[in-house]
Amino acid sequence: MSEGTALSTRGLIAGYERDLPIVRGIDFDAKPGELVVVLGPNGAGKSTFVKAIAGTVPVFAGRVALGNDNVTQLPAHDKIRRGLAFVPQTENIFATLTILENLELAADILPRHLRRQRIASVEAMFPDLARRPALRAGQLSGGQRQMLAVARALIVDPKVLILDEPSAGLSPRIVGEVFSSLARINQSGVTIILVEQNVKAALAVAHRGVVLVEGQLRHEGPAATLAHDPIIAELYLGVAPALPA
Amino acid sequence: MIELLSYGAFFLTVALTYAIICLGLNVQWGQTGLFNVGVAGFVAMGAYTSALLTTPEDPVRFGGFDLPIAVGWLGAALMAGLLSVLVGLLTIRLRADYLAIATFGVAVVMQLCALNLEPLTGGPFGIGFIPRPFGWMAEDRLTFGLLNLGLVVLTTLGVYLALERLLRSPWGRVLRAIREDEQAALALGKNAFAFRLQAFAVGGAIMGLAGAVQAHFIGFIAPENYVPMLTFQVWAMLIVGGSGNNKGAVLGAVLVWAVWAATAALISAVVPPELQARAAALQIVMIGLAICIMLLVRPRGILGEVRTVSRHVHEASGKK
Amino acid sequence: MIAQALMDGLIAGTMIGLGAIGITLTYSILRFANFAHGELISWGAYAALGVSGALATAYAPLAAPIGPFSFGWSLPIGLVASMVLTGLLALLVDVLLFGRLRARKSAVIILVMAGFGAALTLRSLLEFLFTSKPAYFTDALQIAMKLAPGVRATPDQLLSLGVSALLVFAVHLLLTRTAIGRAMRAVSENQQLAALAGVDVRQTIRIVWLLGAALAAVAGVMAGLLVQIRPHMGHDLLLPLFAAAILGGIGSVPGAMLGGLIVGLAEALSVQVIGAEWRAAVAFVILVAVLLLRPRGLFGSAA
Repeated sequence: MSEGTALSTRGLIAGYERDLPIVRGIDFDAKPGELVVVLGPNGAGKSTFVKAIAGTVPVFAGRVALGNDNVTQLPAHDKIRRGLAFVPQTENIFATLTILENLELAADILPRHLRRQRIASVEAMFPDLARRPALRAGQLSGGQRQMLAVARALIVDPKVLILDEPSAGLSPRIVGEVFSSLARINQSGVTIILVEQNVKAALAVAHRGVVLVEGQLRHEGPAATLAHDPIIAELYLGVAPALPA
Repeated sequence: MIELLSYGAFFLTVALTYAIICLGLNVQWGQTGLFNVGVAGFVAMGAYTSALLTTPEDPVRFGGFDLPIAVGWLGAALMAGLLSVLVGLLTIRLRADYLAIATFGVAVVMQLCALNLEPLTGGPFGIGFIPRPFGWMAEDRLTFGLLNLGLVVLTTLGVYLALERLLRSPWGRVLRAIREDEQAALALGKNAFAFRLQAFAVGGAIMGLAGAVQAHFIGFIAPENYVPMLTFQVWAMLIVGGSGNNKGAVLGAVLVWAVWAATAALISAVVPPELQARAAALQIVMIGLAICIMLLVRPRGILGEVRTVSRHVHEASGKK
Repeated sequence: MIAQALMDGLIAGTMIGLGAIGITLTYSILRFANFAHGELISWGAYAALGVSGALATAYAPLAAPIGPFSFGWSLPIGLVASMVLTGLLALLVDVLLFGRLRARKSAVIILVMAGFGAALTLRSLLEFLFTSKPAYFTDALQIAMKLAPGVRATPDQLLSLGVSALLVFAVHLLLTRTAIGRAMRAVSENQQLAALAGVDVRQTIRIVWLLGAALAAVAGVMAGLLVQIRPHMGHDLLLPLFAAAILGGIGSVPGAMLGGLIVGLAEALSVQVIGAEWRAAVAFVILVAVLLLRPRGLFGSAA
């Protein structure tokens, strides 16, 4: 693996059934501080790809490295301890816990003396959440839930933050808020990997994009050029890509 | 030789009454995935109903009505089916294990009723003089035994064939579809609740019928016949035979009953009287372990489930 | 009469409540109704009986009654030992049975059935070891103290009330104020997300078993102290326990205790009206009423 990657995969094969893998051999790198967006048509395996990295979908072959450490087979609860945080697309907060309890839960894996301080610093980033710590998270709106999910992931001060379609189901105005806060988090030094259907908004904040098709990485490039690449239009119109299979 | 033959007839008759209960449980669990932990309660309902309907009048309690045995059996199935509908209405819409808890309660309450509703059930002494099929032949033990066996075989076969038909009908296919994938079945516009309730009632009615058959074969019933142990035995039979498979239900019943009867005979022959209670407890440990081990090692039972749904797929792929 | 029935109901109710807390915890976190929970109660009672008996034989002064109570120091020590032993038993059953089924992603109802098989095995094993003859922690007879006109209770009963109240409070604090409590509630809501938040789910499940079994052991020792010890004692409590847990709302510790008190009081009062032989039906009537009127219970979240 190359020097100075925050997260990389080599020959990653993953899915729900061994004889029917959904991710079929992906080599991927994210440099420290980078914001990479993972694009691709429906069913391309984007979501399974990031879940396999996070440890909620079985990896059948290949490896996942966080910095220089091989974390492929670590259980999910150990990956977050190593600084790899994942925000699932749905059910990404604990609805029966209060806002503060959601944050405390995430802080419980930190050394005792850091907990208050990390919660306070995350609350500073999301003042909306700080205002009502005792509210049950289940009562939050869609956008607020997404914010809480991101806040929960940031408590441990992760090196890499992975998000699975954070804009799904949100109104355009809220989507803008989510992406601008992601950009801020990224500027503070956190490497972000983002799965998105919302191509325009995602490429607007990302440094780089990769395109998955049928479980394989088929295309990549700087976000600025990718935004005008005809292949993107083709993929999202559902036309089969004009690439050699 | 005649002794052996008549014991054989007796053994098979009892085993087959269990097989009928097992078939009823198979409709609920094997086909529909409804967990009934109160089998004994539904069997008791059938036994007491039939006893009440068919025994000669008894001055110290309500009834009996001296009706024909067939009326008793029909009444037994109806009442047990009705009880199932009530329990089903209460719980089938809720979490899957609430049904288990509620049926567990039904068995407890039926047991209490049998014990305490003396004017109806005869209390702890139970009900005697339940008319036996072919009672006029009782002098000739072998013929009597064989005739009774014949009747129970016919009843079992009747229930078996009726169920096989039912399960291959569109109704049975919907039932399995709901069990396998409720969302998909719902999307097809099938009312899952109604189908489940019907299956639960059919299963309960069969258990009630089995209770009646058993009561008439033995001739008297008492509350201690319907303790949780009965439920456990029937479950062991179904799991060993293979849930979802009617042949397996019958096979499991005969097999488990054979092991049970053999170990019981062994215990009474070998174990000194003062230790027999303990040995009987070990026998139950065995049933419990059998249930756990089958769940772990061979969850589909000895025969497993017959794949009626995917029959066409098998035919298409040439496996048949 | 009524006042005394209320007192008796209160005492029986706290016992049911303690057992129901164990049920509600395992139910909400492991997501299945554990029919073997009653057997943890029975095993808890017998384990305490064994340990306290051995201690009393080894060192007689330990059997000398403490103050107004009917038992010596051997029993509290036996109780603590039994909480540990019963916890280990629960872990063993989990490793051998439930854990394997979970790993295989078996349906809830398979777990329920496995619990049912485990209950049968454990109960009959007790019967094999100790026979169905009742046993007692002590032969000392206690005189009930007059608390108010027409209300009497023995010191043992009052102590049980106090210990239960303390335990309920402690478990409630554990769940709401500590990291392990948060982890349990998180696992109860969403196991996968809990793992992503850094919770070791398997570790949490082990702790839930230990806690539930320890509470079951306390309930068993109380039942043994106030009534008697029999292999079927836990099985006979199972219906009241489930009724209490569902009435309180699955997952709610204060709910389980309140449910236990309601079931205990209802039993004691209805015994006055319809006779002791129908006691076991009371829990069923309550269960049916809850399922009809408010299936999620008093404090349960709408599922």
